[in-house]
Amino acid sequence: MDEPMADAPGPQVKVTFTTTETDLQLPETKRQLLVPADIRRYGLSRILNSESMLDTGSIPFDFLINGSFLRTSLQDYLTANGLSLETNLTLQYVRSLIPPVYEASF
Amino acid sequence: ATHLTEDGEQSRPLRDYSEALEMWSNFQAKTQSLSQSLSSQLRLILTPTQSTKLSGAFRTGKRLNIKKIIPYIASSYKRDKIWMRRAVPSKRAYQILLCVDDSSSMADNESRTSSSPSSSSSSGRLALESLVMVSRALASLEAGQVGVLGFGTDVFVAHSLTDPPFASSSHDAGARVLQRFTFRQDGTDMVRLLRATIDHFRDARLTQAATSSGQDLWQLALILSDGLVQSRDHARLRPLLREAMEQRVMVVFIVMDDARGKGKGHSVLELKEARFGPDGVPVIHRYLDTFPFPYYLIVHHLEDLPGALAALLRTWFAEVNS
Ligand SMILES: [Mg+2]
Repeated sequence: MDEPMADAPGPQVKVTFTTTETDLQLPETKRQLLVPADIRRYGLSRILNSESMLDTGSIPFDFLINGSFLRTSLQDYLTANGLSLETNLTLQYVRSLIPPVYEASF
Repeated sequence: ATHLTEDGEQSRPLRDYSEALEMWSNFQAKTQSLSQSLSSQLRLILTPTQSTKLSGAFRTGKRLNIKKIIPYIASSYKRDKIWMRRAVPSKRAYQILLCVDDSSSMADNESRTSSSPSSSSSSGRLALESLVMVSRALASLEAGQVGVLGFGTDVFVAHSLTDPPFASSSHDAGARVLQRFTFRQDGTDMVRLLRATIDHFRDARLTQAATSSGQDLWQLALILSDGLVQSRDHARLRPLLREAMEQRVMVVFIVMDDARGKGKGHSVLELKEARFGPDGVPVIHRYLDTFPFPYYLIVHHLEDLPGALAALLRTWFAEVNS
């Protein structure tokens, strides 16, 4: 129970997870989370898959903020949009389309 | 030297005066009965009229001091100060700083929508309502000097301890305090706040010592905040909290956890934090597990505050006096 924390965390930002995927809903009490500000899609995906969250193992997720996919770190997103670490970011998660769907041969 | 930044204060935006005036009178009307309730509870805690303990050695008194009996007999009844009395408690003087979080997390700032801090649901509004309620209660008690600090990326004095009371007479002085809070600071530097609070109290103690004598001075800081502090600051806060304790400054953290218009799971009680261990595996903990303030209470509704604050102060005084 008393797991040691990783040392000296860097800056954190508060996120709220939402999704429209009916089979991948988080319980209400798990939707708000402080995460390292330098986190990117992969880290967020690992957190969501972890035992204490969705416990889904290894589903790759993509994240939408205000309708566009997160392709940088959260910190870079905040900076690019003139936002501070005080901001509560709403992240909508969707099953990742990576690797890209083959759609050239219809 | 003061650690409070005086410069830059002029450039910080002020809330519109008439809006602040309206807020003050609305909040005052709304919290009138809560304020009276808090005031009557605090009266019992802050101003003891009778000492509960019998002590000392006197020629006459209320109860025999057993330890003095043998020396009394051995001295052929010469050492006759064998009685204990109820000591008259020394008059207490208080200096109370209300420290209000002015950072933008106090406004409802879901992603990019910047809603007004006076909108129906936000920690900021709850903090200002609490500020009005508590300062009115303290003013009616005439417990001592009351000051207001604001903090975010830096710390400012919204009302100095030595200024005339702001919560007792006209609405004007109160409105001028509320004007200072706009919840737009883009950081929450709790380390800086504690440093400033300790320094402010040290200066105030020296001033107090020069003007009055024989009074027992108690210094109390009430922090009104949403409780969101960068976790890396938790460790840096602990030595400062120890320093405050050594200086006999009591620090109470009141977490403004507005429950209005929010689903469950939005409370700071449920908030978790994720970190990556050395092996890259995410570890998830409850945020409050590393919260460094030993005395804190969580307020979901304004109505919770008088009882919770009184209970906490009662506990603290009992610990200090034991
Ligand atoms: Mg904040």
